[in-house]
Amino acid sequence: MINRENRRQTFYMYLFISPWIIGFLVFALYPILSSLYFSFTDYDIIHPPKFIGLANYTEMFHNDLFWKSVVVTLRYTFIGVPIQLVLGLGFALLLHQTIPLRGFFRTAMYFPSMVSGVAMSLLWYWIFNPQIGLFNYILSWFGIHGPAWLMNPDTALYALIIMTFWTAGSGMILFLAGLQGVPASLIEAANLDGAGRFRIFLNITLPMISPVLLFQLIMGLIDSFQVFTQAFVMTQGGPNYSTWFYVYNLYTSAFKEYRAGYSSALAWVLLIVVMLCTALIMKLSNRYVHYEGGGRK
Amino acid sequence: MNKNRKSSALLLATTMLVVLALSGCSGGKSAGNTLSEGNGGSTNSGGKAETVTITHYTIDSEDRTFVEKLIPDFEKQHPNIKVKVEKAPYEQFDSKLQTLIAGGKSPDVTSHWGYGGFAEYYNKDMLLDLTDLLKEDGFKAADYNIPENLMNIYKVKDHTYGIPVNMYVTLMLYNKDMFDAAKLTYPTSDYEDKSWTFEKMVDQAKQMTLVSNDIAKTQYGVDFTWSERDMRPLYFGAQPYSEDTWTNGGVPSETYFDSPEVIAAYNKLFDLVFKDKVSPSSEWSKSVAGQNGDPFVAGKIGMSIGGSWNLAGANDFPFKIGVAAVPWGGNDKVRSTLYVDPLLILKDSKHPKEALEWIKYLITTEVQEKSIELSGGNPPVNTEAAEAYYKHFDGIDPQDIKNVYEGAVNYGFESYNHLITNYSQINDMFINELQPVETGHKTVEEVMTTIQKKVTEIIHR
Amino acid sequence: MSTVRALSPQTKGTKRRRKVEPVKIFSFITLVVTTFLMLLPLFFMVSTSLKSKREMLKFPPTFLPESWQWSNYTEIFDTLQFGTLYKNSLIIAGLSVVGTLISSALVAYGFARFRGRGNQIWFILLLSTMMLPYPAIMIPQFVLFSQMNWIDTFLPLIVPAFFGSAYNIFLLRQFFSTLPEELFDAGRIDGCGEIRMWATIALPLSKPALATVAIFAFIYNWNDLLTPVLYLSSSEKFTLPVGMASLTSSRFRIPPWHLLMVASVLAMVPIVTLFAVAQKQFVEGIVLTGIK
Repeated sequence: MINRENRRQTFYMYLFISPWIIGFLVFALYPILSSLYFSFTDYDIIHPPKFIGLANYTEMFHNDLFWKSVVVTLRYTFIGVPIQLVLGLGFALLLHQTIPLRGFFRTAMYFPSMVSGVAMSLLWYWIFNPQIGLFNYILSWFGIHGPAWLMNPDTALYALIIMTFWTAGSGMILFLAGLQGVPASLIEAANLDGAGRFRIFLNITLPMISPVLLFQLIMGLIDSFQVFTQAFVMTQGGPNYSTWFYVYNLYTSAFKEYRAGYSSALAWVLLIVVMLCTALIMKLSNRYVHYEGGGRK
Repeated sequence: MNKNRKSSALLLATTMLVVLALSGCSGGKSAGNTLSEGNGGSTNSGGKAETVTITHYTIDSEDRTFVEKLIPDFEKQHPNIKVKVEKAPYEQFDSKLQTLIAGGKSPDVTSHWGYGGFAEYYNKDMLLDLTDLLKEDGFKAADYNIPENLMNIYKVKDHTYGIPVNMYVTLMLYNKDMFDAAKLTYPTSDYEDKSWTFEKMVDQAKQMTLVSNDIAKTQYGVDFTWSERDMRPLYFGAQPYSEDTWTNGGVPSETYFDSPEVIAAYNKLFDLVFKDKVSPSSEWSKSVAGQNGDPFVAGKIGMSIGGSWNLAGANDFPFKIGVAAVPWGGNDKVRSTLYVDPLLILKDSKHPKEALEWIKYLITTEVQEKSIELSGGNPPVNTEAAEAYYKHFDGIDPQDIKNVYEGAVNYGFESYNHLITNYSQINDMFINELQPVETGHKTVEEVMTTIQKKVTEIIHR
Repeated sequence: MSTVRALSPQTKGTKRRRKVEPVKIFSFITLVVTTFLMLLPLFFMVSTSLKSKREMLKFPPTFLPESWQWSNYTEIFDTLQFGTLYKNSLIIAGLSVVGTLISSALVAYGFARFRGRGNQIWFILLLSTMMLPYPAIMIPQFVLFSQMNWIDTFLPLIVPAFFGSAYNIFLLRQFFSTLPEELFDAGRIDGCGEIRMWATIALPLSKPALATVAIFAFIYNWNDLLTPVLYLSSSEKFTLPVGMASLTSSRFRIPPWHLLMVASVLAMVPIVTLFAVAQKQFVEGIVLTGIK
């Protein structure tokens, strides 16, 4: 009996996920394996790769820019991601109530995520302009003399982190979708039982949306570790290497230094680290994340 | 258990077949440059029966893609050659070029229009040696009114790798309104006028500088961005790179960034900001310039030393501008930087002869003249066509531009970013390392030791 | 003083109906302020789009345009092949969204619902495909598509979407996991096949999630710059982001920021429209917990 059920489950699982598997084999496998191969070679893109074993990997650990990029990226991630989560969830909670203009707020808060990258950079350049930018202008209302933001090595990274808050609407949308899935009946029952708002949130809402929370956490980590575009377009890794992100380092290694082998090694180190972090989080999540589908906790 | 293995095996087999089928689709066509199957009646000259397509790779912006408009005329003159323009935005120019080459789709003709420079392409072995091709063709630079010294820039060990097509120079743009308000005489465009010196410039700048709390009122006398950061000592006569750099393809055997002469040169420049206080800090500059990169455009600078590409926006400036010579700063041989863009043929090009035809077409006098209009003001290298260029800008005396250009050719040196290997890395490093000096947190002496070390490292990569 | 709460949209039959809760007032005010901050840069965008080139260069920049250059909105069509760019972007993004939705929903369901052998492994593999940064696979991917002869076509931009997107699969898998097992048990008892259950039970209950995927997928494709730059050669095939990048690509000209803003404002129209349409899925739909 159990065997047949197992086989049935397996069969249907593969049936449903086959499109992805096919896509993976056709489109993703070759590039991924290639980059792994490159990581063991000296490859200047113009000429064929030359096998050099682990040299790229050992070089990494002696390279200043590598370590700088690690520090910058870690700082960006561990400050930015938690705040983004809180903001996303917070805004979603605010919007999940019956208040007027809800639809307008929802759209307005998601607006920033709709703006294309090219325009975004320009806008933010102006917002963070030390002389006449919006940010320092608002700070001046409180008598604070704002810093040079993107032009100051001490603040440039924080400017970029603040930029991500503007697109918190993205996470908000997801959490909203998640909140929709919390059965009203549960909340009402708890209300009738006399449970306070905070308890309801902690014991009902949070567990019910924990799958979404997990998703946002993992994706937040993955995205944050790979941050690149803003550094590329707005700061070029500066000022004074303060926004020299890991993937920016990876990119310049490949396309400015013509060292695609070393760059691939960087990529695989990143992959392994992110994989480990994700695996760790997933393991922990088994204790905390609640899936309806898997039977009640 | 069995069913499991069977279905997975089946799946795997199917996917393998799909992959094979898809890759089979490419059979027949080479992954190189596409050859257009000779259309019926491909030529009327009865010579070559096969039509050949060459790719011209450039930046996706109007001042570069205008060449597409020249294609019909070229194709009429060369019925067996078709030209396709491949383009990319500036930021992706180099990475796309490298990817195209790696993917077997190398373009035929390009230039160092991205952040990479000629020397980088040369040292990565991407360029075709044109010497024999030119000899066969009987090519003479004089036929195209290209001065011999410009042709020599892109010769390495007597082999030609590039043919100049455009030439920018360093010049001074000045804000006539600001000069009038301070009652100063306009600076000269004549390179032979001995009275126009760096000191005189600083003096005039002092009279136009006003720093106030009101950002709208603040203005500075001069913004001296002469060439790239590593080249600036040259203006005062200090050499940062050994002489062999210019003849061996851009690999300096020695660098002198921590020498007293070079350090003194940098100090003189930073004095403009910190001691004479006639120049804005780089932070102020960037704020005012926004992403335009040039505070002169905002009307806040009296004199701006920069590239002649700044002329292109001349008609849009909300104030009257003039063109002047770069003042004498201590170096009798070099007062201006030359930015000569060469047309290059890539090594993987399958049609070098046809590529050369296209290049020759682009440097003929008529086409160079036409290109000025079409591009919105690109300066031609063909000296006959240059006359039309001098007249191109409303409100600016053509004689001034002519003086400045000719002066630059006589007293100029090709920009380092085209001549030194691994330059984009050197430039990145410079920008990052000099930043604390630009904000006044470190002195030139302190950073030069680091810079010296890092330049040496980069060059030997 | 945590005052963020989840309240059921319908708090009927409680004493609080008459009084406006302080929480709601606080929430409203916070939202107003936040929205204001979120929209301010957009205001700047629109304002710049209506300036003349000269005014655009002014420093300090003016708040409102001195003269409203509505002509900018027609000028963009002359400067860029704007209509063509728009059309191409719509085709690519539209098809990609369709492909992504269907394939991701199928695959995510497979991961969520069935505990087959290898579920964990394939899922980890799925996640890991998101951990290799694009610059690392850019070159071999180009070589691959080059071998398939897909260069200078829309194919590399559309076809992969029909095989699922890891991000969206992960997302939907999380949502599908929240659907109670009982629903499907009941379905099976009723004689429904798995695919039917997917279509008639899982999908309808996941509308907010699907709407989210549609929006995300659309925006991602709509604003994608790197892949069109690499794979498209012919100008007639270019997409909006590529066209906009060309406005700022010259090192030798002052970029027409005002026109760039026009392009950006116009580029937002389909997204806003899509969002408005998808809004319906977010509206107070009380999610069914009951079966059928």
